[in-house]
Amino acid sequence: MRIASHDSAKPRRHRSSEDMILFAVGRQMFLVAAESVQEIRSTDGLASAALEIELPDFPKVTHFFERRHHNWFIVNACAHFRLPVSRPTLVLILRQARAALLVDHIVRMAEVPAVHPLPHAYSGDERRWYRGLAYLEDQVIPVLDPVGVLTRDEFLRLDAHCATVLAERECEGAAQS
Amino acid sequence: MTAPASNAVGSFVLLQVGNRRFALSSERVAELAPPVRLHSFPHNSPLVIGVIVRRGRIVPVYDVAPILIGRASGTHRFYLIASRFFGRVAEASAIPLHGECELATGEIVPPEPNSPPYISGSLAVGDQRVPVLDFEALVTFRPASATPSAAPGKSS
Repeated sequence: MRIASHDSAKPRRHRSSEDMILFAVGRQMFLVAAESVQEIRSTDGLASAALEIELPDFPKVTHFFERRHHNWFIVNACAHFRLPVSRPTLVLILRQARAALLVDHIVRMAEVPAVHPLPHAYSGDERRWYRGLAYLEDQVIPVLDPVGVLTRDEFLRLDAHCATVLAERECEGAAQS
Repeated sequence: MTAPASNAVGSFVLLQVGNRRFALSSERVAELAPPVRLHSFPHNSPLVIGVIVRRGRIVPVYDVAPILIGRASGTHRFYLIASRFFGRVAEASAIPLHGECELATGEIVPPEPNSPPYISGSLAVGDQRVPVLDFEALVTFRPASATPSAAPGKSS
């Protein structure tokens, strides 16, 4: 059998490209559509507004904050993607879901010519995590699906927990005044 | 591919995983590719270790060595690219190989009763009997002791 030569062909380019944010979690790179990110804050900048969530069996969500009368949940990307622990410095506040992602750093903006579908071979949680894959400067990088950061059931559970936390704080406040 | 009811002659690719030889129906095989860069990212799909880019397509790579030889693939020499079907959709899929491939034609005989489900028979090559792989059964095979676990991506 002949061995095929090294292949220099790149995934086909599509006409419409998309602006994306290339970010790092540990040594792993991810992309997210720029229009899916509402705001980028430093962890320090958000610390004063965030309240802690203590759900031992749900370690990926550590804090929440209130925005426009809704709870927004801060998801540690390391825990979400089951990567080794890193040192997040930034929070990407997402647009399509009430979630914010704790990431290590932004690498740069990138113009992504196409998002390729995730191969069917991938059948696990990653089908929810990723919109697809992008081929950028000789690297295949997963493209985050903001809607897949937390499931509907997870939102329900977190909302219920936060309602309890806020009610307790209200009671504590009333008792002190 | 399904286990044949009776002996049948077919064309096969003989491939090497670790130091063992297996046969795969040549109808399934698209090409033998050089060991191009493997791109990995977090996921928890069993056996999948990443993707390669081949002829403009993103091709998932399955490390079947733990099933076939009981250890991870390690350094390999080629990728065998074969088709896997998801309903009517064929997806190019790669498995790392450790040695040269060759074509063989021969009679496939039904598997032994205690053969694992991914062995669909055996092929007589010289004085050897080479196990014939059922690709679909191989990449979906889960050992009884296997439990799903996260397989975080290696650094790309």
